[in-house]
Amino acid sequence: MKGKKWLLSIVVVVCCIALLGLSPAMGAKSKFDPSKMGDMSDLDLSNPVIPTGDTIKIAIVASFSGPAAAVGDIYFASVQSVAHDYNKRGGILVDGKKKLVQVIKANHESKVPIAKKVSERMVLQEKVDVLWGTNGSHLMKVINQVADKYKTIAVSAAAVSDELYDAQNFSRYSFMTSISTSQVGRGMAYYYGQVRKKETKFYILCQDYLFGHSIAGGFKAGLKEYYPDAELVGEDYHKLFLTDFAPYLTKVKAAGAEVVYTGDWIPDAANLLVQARQMGLDLPFANLFINNPPFLQQVGIEGTDGLVHIGQIGSDGKAFKTEGQIKYYKAWNDQYPKWKKPFDTTTYEHGTGTIGAYRMQTYWLLDVIERAGSTDPEKIIKVWENDTWEDVNGTVYKMRGIDHKTERDLFIELYVPPEQQKESMNIEPYYWFKDCSNTGPSYKLPADKVTPVMDPKLKDIRKGS
Amino acid sequence: MMNKMLKWILWLAGFVFLILYPKLFGIYYSNVFVTFAIFALYATSYNLLLGYTGLLSFGHAMFFGTGAYGTALALTHISGFPLIPALLAGALAAAILALILCPIMVRVGGTAFAMLHLAFGGLMYVLALKLRHITGGEDGIGGFDIPPFSIPGIVSFDMTDPLQFFYFAMVVLIGSIWILWFFTKTPFGQIMIAVRDNAKRVDYLGFRVPQTKAVIYVFSGAFCGVAGAVYALFQNLISAEDGFHVMTSFAPIMLTMVGGIGSFFGPIFGSAIFGILEELTTRYTERVELVFGLVLIFVIMFAPMGFVGTVKMIKEKWFTRQGV
Repeated sequence: MKGKKWLLSIVVVVCCIALLGLSPAMGAKSKFDPSKMGDMSDLDLSNPVIPTGDTIKIAIVASFSGPAAAVGDIYFASVQSVAHDYNKRGGILVDGKKKLVQVIKANHESKVPIAKKVSERMVLQEKVDVLWGTNGSHLMKVINQVADKYKTIAVSAAAVSDELYDAQNFSRYSFMTSISTSQVGRGMAYYYGQVRKKETKFYILCQDYLFGHSIAGGFKAGLKEYYPDAELVGEDYHKLFLTDFAPYLTKVKAAGAEVVYTGDWIPDAANLLVQARQMGLDLPFANLFINNPPFLQQVGIEGTDGLVHIGQIGSDGKAFKTEGQIKYYKAWNDQYPKWKKPFDTTTYEHGTGTIGAYRMQTYWLLDVIERAGSTDPEKIIKVWENDTWEDVNGTVYKMRGIDHKTERDLFIELYVPPEQQKESMNIEPYYWFKDCSNTGPSYKLPADKVTPVMDPKLKDIRKGS
Repeated sequence: MMNKMLKWILWLAGFVFLILYPKLFGIYYSNVFVTFAIFALYATSYNLLLGYTGLLSFGHAMFFGTGAYGTALALTHISGFPLIPALLAGALAAAILALILCPIMVRVGGTAFAMLHLAFGGLMYVLALKLRHITGGEDGIGGFDIPPFSIPGIVSFDMTDPLQFFYFAMVVLIGSIWILWFFTKTPFGQIMIAVRDNAKRVDYLGFRVPQTKAVIYVFSGAFCGVAGAVYALFQNLISAEDGFHVMTSFAPIMLTMVGGIGSFFGPIFGSAIFGILEELTTRYTERVELVFGLVLIFVIMFAPMGFVGTVKMIKEKWFTRQGV
C-alpha cells in the first residue's frame, strides 16, 4: 500500500515537471508545419495561378487604386502565396470535397460607400467564403457589418482598432487575427518604461480617424500602466493621405520631444519619415508601419537608424533558429528575383515582417477551415473561438472566444545599419537590406503584458447570448 | 379613354414589377435598386431648384448629408427611437438648414447662388470631419440600431432584412417623388416655373419672388434630407465622404442633365442611366467618374435636352413623319 502511494507520488511529480517543461507552444491545438508546405518553386506573384469554379473563395477587400494601392498589393501577395501553397498541396477537404483556394481582389478605393458595395457584391454575387481586410478601421467596420448581415466570415488581418470588437461593433462572424491598437500602445509603453528606461518625452502623431485615435489611446493607457514618469509633450492628428507634414513636424521640434509615437501607414508613414529627415528632425519614431523597405531605402541608412518598430511576428534575437523557418523563408525569397511589377520592389524581397504577419494569419484561417472541414461559418466559428495556433516562429496565437481578439507575444525591433543586422538576420547574406537600417536587436514582449483590451459590456452580452 | 386605360395598365405593371423585383433579381440587385431610388429622389428634389426654378446649386449635398446625419444621430443617441420619426428627423434637420440659409440664398441667383452653395457645402464637409465627437470624423457614424417598422399591435417589419427594407424604401422614395410631382402640378408649382422664366414679371404680377423661392428651397432641401435619411438607414452608416463630399453635390447635377433638365422624370431616368453605367463599369475599372464625365460631355454636346428631351424629339419626328 505504502509502495503504491510512493509510486503514485512519483508519477504525479514527473507529470508536473514534464508539464512545466513544456513550452506554451506545445499546448497549441494546431500549428504551422513547414514540412507540409507544397512545392513553391513556381510561386509567381506577378502571374498568379488562380483557380476558379468550385473553390474556397477569399475576397481581399482593400485599396487596389489611389494613394494606398500599394497596400492592396501587399495583401494580395501575402494571401495569394498561402493560397498557392495550399493549392500545391491539393487543396483543402471541405464538405466532403477537396477544394482549391481562390483569391479575389475587391477594390474599396479607400471609400466607405464603395467598401460596403464591393463587400456586398463579393458576398451576394461572387459567393465568397471569407472577407479579408483591410487598410482602415473605418472600412473594416463596414466589412464587418456586411459579414454580420449576410452571415459570412470576415477576417480583420490588417485593421487593428480595438473598437471594431467592442460591444457596439462586435460581430460573431468576424475575427481579429491582427494585433490590436491597445496591444501596440501598451507594448510600446512597456518597452520604453520597463525595458529601455531612457527617453521620457513623447509626442503622439497619428492619423485623424478611428485607428489613429485608438492607437494613440492605447499608448496613453500603456504609459499610465508601465511608464508613469513619462511625459506626453504633444499630441496631434492629421488627415489621411496628407502630403505636407511640415506644420506638424515644426510643432514636434518645438515641443522638445525625444520620441515620436505614430501609427501612420503608407503613404503617410513614408511621407512623414522622409519629410522629418529632410527637415533635420532626427528623432526616433516608435512605429507600427514605418517598415516598408523602398521608402526606408529612400531615407538611407543614417535616417532610418534608431527607428523602433513593434511587430506581431518576429523572434527574440536571431530570426532563424530551425530548418523549418529557413525552408519557409526560402520558399518565398528564392522566387522573389523572378517577379515582375509591382512585386519586384524590395517590399517583397523577404516575405517576413508585415507580409509575414499577413501570411501567418492567412495560414491560421485556412488551418481553421481545414479543421472545421467546412466553409460553413457556424462550423468555422466553433473551431476558431478559443483556438490556439502556433506560427512558424513558435509564437502561439489564441483567439479569445468572447471578443474574437488574438492574444500573442509581440516583438520590438530596433533598426540598425546593415553590418549590425546579423544580430537578427543570421543566414546569408547576414543583413536584411544593405542600403537602409533594419531589424537588429529584437525583444519579445510577453503576451500577458500586452493583452488586448476587452469591452466589459461585451462579456455580459455574450454570456447572455 | 384608351390612353387612360393604357396608363393604368402601365402603372399596374410597374407596381407588380416592383413587388416581384427582389424575387426576380435577388438581394444584390435589390440593393442596387434602392441606391438608384435614393439618388432618383435626391436628383428630383434638386431638380425643383435647377429645372423648375432655374437655380444652379453646387452644394446640395449639404441637405443630403444633413438628412443622413440627422437620422443617424437620432438613432445613435435616442434609445428606442422609432423608424418613421428617425426618418422625419433627417428631413427636419435638412429643412431647418435650408430655412437658416434661405434668407441669404433667395436674394442671390446665378453664379453667386452656385458659389455660395459650393462654399457652404465645403464648410459642412469640413465640419463633419472636424467635429469628431458629434459626427465621428473621417469614420462617420455607423452601426446604429435600425428600428423595425411597426404599427403597434398590428404589424412589425424587421428593417435589417434587406427584402423588407427594399419595400419600405420603395414606399418612402416613391411616395416622396409623388409628393414632389404633385407639388409641381399645383398653382404654386406653376409660379415656380414662372420665376425661372421671368422673375421680374412674376414680381409685377404681385407674387413675392424671394418668399416663393424660400418655400421651394426649403421644400427641396427637406426632400433631399429624406433621401439622405433613407441612405443612412440603408447603409447603416454615414460619413463626410458620402454625405457632404463635393462629388455628392455634383451627382444630382449630372443625373438631372443626363436625364433631362426641366422634365420632372428626367432625373429619375438620369439616375437609372448612371446606376446601370456604374454597375457595368465598376466590374472593369475603378475610374467610374471618368466614364460619367465622358457621358456628361457627350450629352452636353449632342443631346443637351438629356434623355427625356431626346426621346421626346425622336417621338415628335417619328409622328411628324407618320403624319406626312
